[in-house]
Amino acid sequence: MGRYIFRRVLQAVGTLLLVMLLLHLLTTVAIQLNGNPAQAFFGDKVASPAQIAVVEQRFNLDDPCFDQVGNPCLGPFVERLGQYAQGDFGTNLRGREVSDIVATAAPNTLRLFCVVLVTWLALGMVLGSVAARWRGSPGDHGIRLTSVLIDAFPVFVLLIVYRYVVAVPLSRWAEETFGEDSWPPYWFKPSFDPEHPWATVLVPGILLGLAGSAAFIRLVRAGQLESYQGDHVRTARSKGLGERHVVVHHVVRNSSVPVVTAVGLTFTEALGGAVITEGLMNIYGMGGVLWGAVRDDDVGLVLGIVTLLAAVTVVVMIVVDIAYALLDPRIRYE
Amino acid sequence: MTHARAGRRAPLATVAACAAVALALAGCTPSQTADDDAEGPVTLETWISQDMETLFPGDAGAYDNISVLDVVYDGLVRYDPETTEPYNYVAESIEPNDDNTVWTIKIKPDLTFQNGEPVDAEAFARAWNYTADGDNGLYSGYFFSIIQGYDEMQPETDDDGEIVKEGAADELSGLNVVDPLTLEVTLNSPFAGFATMLGYTGFFPVAQECLDDVEKCALEPIGNGPFRVTEWSQGQELTAERWADYPLDETPEYDTIHWTEYATGETAGWADFKTGDLDLSFPPTAEVEAAKNDPELAERYIERPGAALTYLGFSGYTEGPWNDKEFRKAISMAIDREGIIGSLGSGQATPADSWVVPGGVPGGEAGTCEWCVFDPEAAKAALEKAGGWPEGEKLQISLGDDEAEVEYFTAIGNSIEEVLGIPYELNIDPDYFTTRAEQGYDGMFRNNWFPDYPLNENYLSFYASGEPGAGHWGWYSEEFEDKLDEAARAGSLDESVALYQEAEAILAEEFPTIPFRWSFSATYYSERLDNVILNPFSGAPILREIEVSAS
Amino acid sequence: MSDAATPTPTVPRGSGASSSPVADAWRTLRRRPDTIAAAAVLVFFAVMAAFPRLFTDTSPRSCPIREARTAPQGWGGEHPLGTDALGCDVLATMVHGVRPSLLLAIVVVGVSLVIGVTLGLLAGYYLGWVDYLVSRTVEVFLVIPLLLAALLVLSLFKGVDLGAGTFDVILLPAVVLILFGWMPYARYVRAATLEAKNLDYVTAARSLGASDLRIMGRHVLPNAIGTVTALLPTSVAGVISAEAVLSFLGIGVRPPATSWGIQIEQGSQWVLGGSPHVLLAPLICLVATVLALVVLGDALRDALDPRLSS
Repeated sequence: MGRYIFRRVLQAVGTLLLVMLLLHLLTTVAIQLNGNPAQAFFGDKVASPAQIAVVEQRFNLDDPCFDQVGNPCLGPFVERLGQYAQGDFGTNLRGREVSDIVATAAPNTLRLFCVVLVTWLALGMVLGSVAARWRGSPGDHGIRLTSVLIDAFPVFVLLIVYRYVVAVPLSRWAEETFGEDSWPPYWFKPSFDPEHPWATVLVPGILLGLAGSAAFIRLVRAGQLESYQGDHVRTARSKGLGERHVVVHHVVRNSSVPVVTAVGLTFTEALGGAVITEGLMNIYGMGGVLWGAVRDDDVGLVLGIVTLLAAVTVVVMIVVDIAYALLDPRIRYE
Repeated sequence: MTHARAGRRAPLATVAACAAVALALAGCTPSQTADDDAEGPVTLETWISQDMETLFPGDAGAYDNISVLDVVYDGLVRYDPETTEPYNYVAESIEPNDDNTVWTIKIKPDLTFQNGEPVDAEAFARAWNYTADGDNGLYSGYFFSIIQGYDEMQPETDDDGEIVKEGAADELSGLNVVDPLTLEVTLNSPFAGFATMLGYTGFFPVAQECLDDVEKCALEPIGNGPFRVTEWSQGQELTAERWADYPLDETPEYDTIHWTEYATGETAGWADFKTGDLDLSFPPTAEVEAAKNDPELAERYIERPGAALTYLGFSGYTEGPWNDKEFRKAISMAIDREGIIGSLGSGQATPADSWVVPGGVPGGEAGTCEWCVFDPEAAKAALEKAGGWPEGEKLQISLGDDEAEVEYFTAIGNSIEEVLGIPYELNIDPDYFTTRAEQGYDGMFRNNWFPDYPLNENYLSFYASGEPGAGHWGWYSEEFEDKLDEAARAGSLDESVALYQEAEAILAEEFPTIPFRWSFSATYYSERLDNVILNPFSGAPILREIEVSAS
Repeated sequence: MSDAATPTPTVPRGSGASSSPVADAWRTLRRRPDTIAAAAVLVFFAVMAAFPRLFTDTSPRSCPIREARTAPQGWGGEHPLGTDALGCDVLATMVHGVRPSLLLAIVVVGVSLVIGVTLGLLAGYYLGWVDYLVSRTVEVFLVIPLLLAALLVLSLFKGVDLGAGTFDVILLPAVVLILFGWMPYARYVRAATLEAKNLDYVTAARSLGASDLRIMGRHVLPNAIGTVTALLPTSVAGVISAEAVLSFLGIGVRPPATSWGIQIEQGSQWVLGGSPHVLLAPLICLVATVLALVVLGDALRDALDPRLSS
């Protein structure tokens, strides 16, 4: 096991470096083709070459390679890697520390992900199990149809409708019913409130989780159906074990393997949902920051954040692999 | 319940879930106690957009930091909320010499910064020197180009745009601190409107402590205005509290201003306004009608025509029919300004028919643009005169990626296609400013101008490209630039304004750009607020004037 | 079903073998009413994409702004489903928006499938450095969030003038979605290849001197393709939804070309403004199509994977 983890970590570092290089190249080419972000600094004003040159310096983009299309700009990249190795994640274009931005933005996104994850697991496990247990029943069909329907509904429409149509009356109603000092009004606030981060991230998170839950319900259902027909379940039943015991020990436990895998894979996908949710619900989070950074050709910020994100994703993947081994006795790593 | 138990016994699958729930509970409990207090300070809840980067006066040029700095700093002059005329505020007097080249500024005595440093001639000189210094690369640096010695402070570049030499001087030779409260400014050439510029953010004074650590000061400004920034969580919120020792008189009664930062622009806060979490807001386009029809809301509404111009320019630096004036006239008359604004903006804008905002600034008049009226027949005739549109080609219309603007420009394109039969395509360009500055467009593109200070000159001077083929539109007119120079040299502000009007007439005749729309400022305010006045110039509510009653 | 209990996969027979499992699957599919309904929905929209003139005579590009946001007038009216915020006919926009939406989905899934299957097959068959390369690439692409990549790549190409044909309009989003959409196929096919490679008959074929190409094409691929086929309808549905999201973020199909995504994005702001029809019409179409595809995918999976049927 130890050797396996070691090898996996080594691989992960390689993947990370590749991702960084790829992104570095993409952003560099973007700057080379579209022109230096220093130009955008002046907006509507007409700037002299000298003014632009100084702003390029301020933005750390004064290396001539950023003006030469096709130049991979490896110099600045290596320099940046060196800084990362020393724990210095650099600054964004306007000189704000990347670590500072992440420190503000990441907790909000993590909160969102936590709520999403709990929604996924809860819905997936409960509804998926019910659908599998009573396969072919109206309940099963109902669950499958509803989940697909929610899945087909674009999440941004869901959020827009919630924010503008549902949240305001709901929040007012909650305030009148429970009083201003209680929690319910905060749950239904149309925007995120940094002073009450958990309460105000709850509903957006559930909505985002709802949108992605169909895949989990399907996974759990399929996994459990397979288990119900598996030899070990048949054996367990023939030993005379109670149905409840069989379901809990043999069916549910086995079906959690693909679910854990899916959590790992959907992690990056959820970031896409985060961009939309954060934008619409005014949450200052990683999705929104990254989105803005890419739009502004902010190389330093994009690389800094993606490196951190990729690192987290890779760690999640490794953890998932290990969880795999612990959950499924058939899998052993050497 | 089977499933609950299942969850407990499958440990790893639910570790994350449990941790999250635990965290959620832990995060919830403590803050519940501290909340509203009837006796607490009175707070004004308002908004800015999320991408505000700095609060250093010389580097601030966006709507957001300008509106925040307006309560944190005091300038030499402030502008009358009704007429936009400047009046002395920190300045005791501002006097030019006979030919408007040397200006003597006297500063009111005994003023201090929020850290106790004096606000004197030196405070202004150091701020202006620092901002004007090209080596610092600040946004507002170019404002000082009219002051003597500016050129010596700029770095030199080679043909590739690389810096070869830093600016020789670190101080404007045209600034002279005569005594602690007197500053003498020598301009490069006569400019009658100099005093009008002095209320702009870039001309605010800064404390020495601020210059000693500019990065810190950009986040925690040391102002001389009625409010001091106490907390700024960048990207989320900004709080400023009233400065108890404020010596001057333009300060409101309430204690705190709290800005919530929004990601998606000014309309994002509407839902929050409706739940009572914001005191000032404006609805998104789709809700404008509903808000107008709400009798209760209608009482708490104020509107004012704005001063920002959205207009269309052409790539005069590439070959195309748009180099023919008749063609540009055809396009202009094919755009149904009223219809587009009426449908998409629900009336929250004004069709533009001039290059300088009418009524908003000295010298601004409506109707200077002869061909800014929707007239399909005249448009078709003009197109014919211009030789028509090349068969099979598409007119490219470029703009930034603002969602509302994309909609407006789709409508503009539709209108042109409908009237003239010219097919179009939109080129939505996130790097719009860069591409435009590098003359990278081929066809028509969006432009927007938000003026810096209230003088018609500010709407016109950027058309001066210096040589044929240069500038955003590749447009050059010697006559126009001569007229600008003449206006700057005029003996009085009034003469100057009149000459600038003549320059606008040249623009109207040559027709390099097509005015489309004037901004429109409006805001709804909560029941707690009173005396909400919009700045005629920026359109922002004047925070210093607002009265907030304790709820 | 009886063979559910037999764990060893049935050996695919020689040339004429394919008819029997396909016929089986077909028979299973036919018996389910939801499948029939789903197929009918898809055929309806396919016809709409192919012959938009059957459904409307109005041009989607005729948009008099002064007629904006007309309420639906019902069949026979000038604007049966009303007009949108720009004055364009909602029905015409919707009908003409089917083609780009469906074409995009089919192109993306088709090309990603080819890339994924090829790479997965090669990786699973040859292992060694080929596998290492493919697996690392898959990992790298999985780690980069789709939207981030989409924005980067789309901003790279934004200055490129592609023209305005149906295909040109979808080219950019298609490239991006393909670039970041082929990985699942590669993973599935690689896993299936690994499994199939060690089956007795494959080993036998190899010892008989069959070429690598022949073994891959004739013996390994047919085994691997089943799982992937069941994925296809869901993937098409995924791309249609993804296009809507890209449009919402302003990086999808470019206006004035239309697609359902753009229509939904533009309509979503008017839900409250008294014109919900602008949103509802394309939204219902999108949801119906996606729903039909997923139902079809489920049915296909059940039919192709006998272990799951009862």
